[in-house]
Amino acid sequence: MKRIALAVLLLALAPPARALTQPEALGLVSTLDERTHNNGDFAGLCYLEQKEKDKSDVVYELVYYRRSEGQRLLMLFTKPKSEAGKGYLRIEKNLWMYDPGTGKWERRTERERIGGTDSRRGDFDESRLAEEYDVRWEGDEKLGAYSAHRLVLSAREGADVAFPTLRLWLDSATGNLLKRQDLALSGRLMRTALYPRWKKVWSESKKGDVWYPEQIYLYDEIEKANSTMVVIKQVDLRSLSPNMFTKAWLEAKSR
Amino acid sequence: MLLVDFQIASRNLLRHTRRNLFLGGALAVTTALLVLLNGLADGMKASLLESATTLMTGHVNVGGFYKITSSTAAPLVTDYQKVLAETKKHVPELDYYTVRVRGYAKAVSEKGSMDLVLGGVDVAHEPGLRRILQRVDGRLDDLQEPGTLMLFEDQAKRLEVKVGDMVTLVAPTTRGQSNTADLRVVFIAKGVGLMSAFSSFLPAETLRKLYNLREGNTGAIQLYLKDHRKAAEVAARLRTRLAAAGWQVLDSDPKPYWMKLFQTIPSEDWTGQKLDMSTWEDEMSFLSWIFSAVRVLSTILIFVLMAIVIVGILNTLAIAIRERTREIGTLRAIGMQRRKVRWLLLLEAGLLGVISSGAGAAAALALAAGLNRAQIDVPEPVQMFLMQQHLFLATAPAGALGYAAILAAVTTLASLLPATWAARLQPISAMHHIG
Repeated sequence: MKRIALAVLLLALAPPARALTQPEALGLVSTLDERTHNNGDFAGLCYLEQKEKDKSDVVYELVYYRRSEGQRLLMLFTKPKSEAGKGYLRIEKNLWMYDPGTGKWERRTERERIGGTDSRRGDFDESRLAEEYDVRWEGDEKLGAYSAHRLVLSAREGADVAFPTLRLWLDSATGNLLKRQDLALSGRLMRTALYPRWKKVWSESKKGDVWYPEQIYLYDEIEKANSTMVVIKQVDLRSLSPNMFTKAWLEAKSR
Repeated sequence: MLLVDFQIASRNLLRHTRRNLFLGGALAVTTALLVLLNGLADGMKASLLESATTLMTGHVNVGGFYKITSSTAAPLVTDYQKVLAETKKHVPELDYYTVRVRGYAKAVSEKGSMDLVLGGVDVAHEPGLRRILQRVDGRLDDLQEPGTLMLFEDQAKRLEVKVGDMVTLVAPTTRGQSNTADLRVVFIAKGVGLMSAFSSFLPAETLRKLYNLREGNTGAIQLYLKDHRKAAEVAARLRTRLAAAGWQVLDSDPKPYWMKLFQTIPSEDWTGQKLDMSTWEDEMSFLSWIFSAVRVLSTILIFVLMAIVIVGILNTLAIAIRERTREIGTLRAIGMQRRKVRWLLLLEAGLLGVISSGAGAAAALALAAGLNRAQIDVPEPVQMFLMQQHLFLATAPAGALGYAAILAAVTTLASLLPATWAARLQPISAMHHIG
């Protein structure tokens, strides 16, 4: 009985979790950005499993390429057959979509659902959260077995982002992103992302590790029955062809 | 002399009553069909004009797009009071105007989701809406409260909601950020054809909030003219005058604004505000295929019927001439010129054509008037295409007379060949003809 009373007393007297200052919180997000940044090229193979209400599950396969210089990104669907040849290309902050069926390019926004799934461009790109958002520490909490910092990110004036507010849970021990919530301007939760597994690969161009989430679970919080699982494999950081990030290259590969 | 010719032609027609009744009946039916089918197409257009100009568009719209970045477009007119003041100066034909907030959002309920073209309205100042929207459930006046939504019957079925249920709208703000609004369904209206498949209404202020718009911004100024036929002329004039007054104006593109918003505008490189003038026909151009289909089908049908009529006339006159060969020979022998023989036969066919097609047109006008008065409910699946809740045929006596005249002329022309054959008969051989 005495032991229990002592334990309760100790818990009551224990100092509350120290609030992170704004620079400290921003530092955590900057570290997250820096980890995904390669300072060179990046290639990966990705599978997207889309679950939608009243529809059968669809699995997409796509290859995607990134180049840190110019923040370029290229995505090319390879499976299923009906989607093969479709692609996205980010040039100078513009996201373009190519449809081989019509042979046309269409400009898309940051809100574009990649291939109609719950994934967005940002899920495949280098993280630039510290650039695009102001960061505030909201609290510390347990997320399953992990202790996590909960941060709130608000879009900076003029930033072209899909969600004006984000809530992030970062592993207190490793700094890895564990969970992310995307909120609408109204404050309504729109999407939740879980990052159960992070991997790192050595980058010659960066002279350091580049981190990427091997799995992401995306849940549509508006249409509750919809969700997407993203699996990233075969990451390769070798230099890519200089002419890759062009419309002509993607069109040629689509044929 | 002409009167005698008419008497001869009439008597000849009356001598072969059954044959001429059959041919005349075919002519009358063809004329009636022509009048009714065109009445249906014109009725569809009239219904579309009425419902479209109440639900979705003015006769002329001064709308526009605002692009914060080249990839983010919103359907809006900034500082619309200035645009309105300038517009009024150049449109003496203006009867009245309304100001509508425009939007496009995904509507999500507990059970389903669908895309909606949204109209932000002040229902107290939209008497036309009250006239067009027929209640299934709820009160239209409740749409004055913020956070409310009006749906059409099919939309409510698809979303599986009823009055009092909540629907979430998901849309991007003008800055391209995601936003949502939780709205209560307060009114469910009967469908009004294809337009009610995707359009819906909510208070202007609620839509403004969803799009994060300032007070002075709106979606479009809808202009209603004293004569809607001047819409294209007024739109072209406004395009020139507003450009001259310093606004950036888009070139004419006969598409509805929501098609431009998703297809054309995001691919263009400019940023900022551009105004866009459109007519009600531009906004409804996505339905033009229905009119074209009805016109093409009715044209094919009329051509087939006309071909049957022409063959019928050729055949009937050929039989008549054969039967009357001796009579024609006798007339020729006592001095009737070939021209006169041809004239008499043409007159006979012409008379048949005028009487039959006239009767057909009159019957069609009477039938159309009766159907319009009966207010026959159009079955729901057909409403989508006819764009009418009650069957309405827009027939005009002048138009019907025109169609009757065309049919009479075709009949007369078709008889030219057999009449010429008859005129060429040699009197001596014709008189000896045994038939």
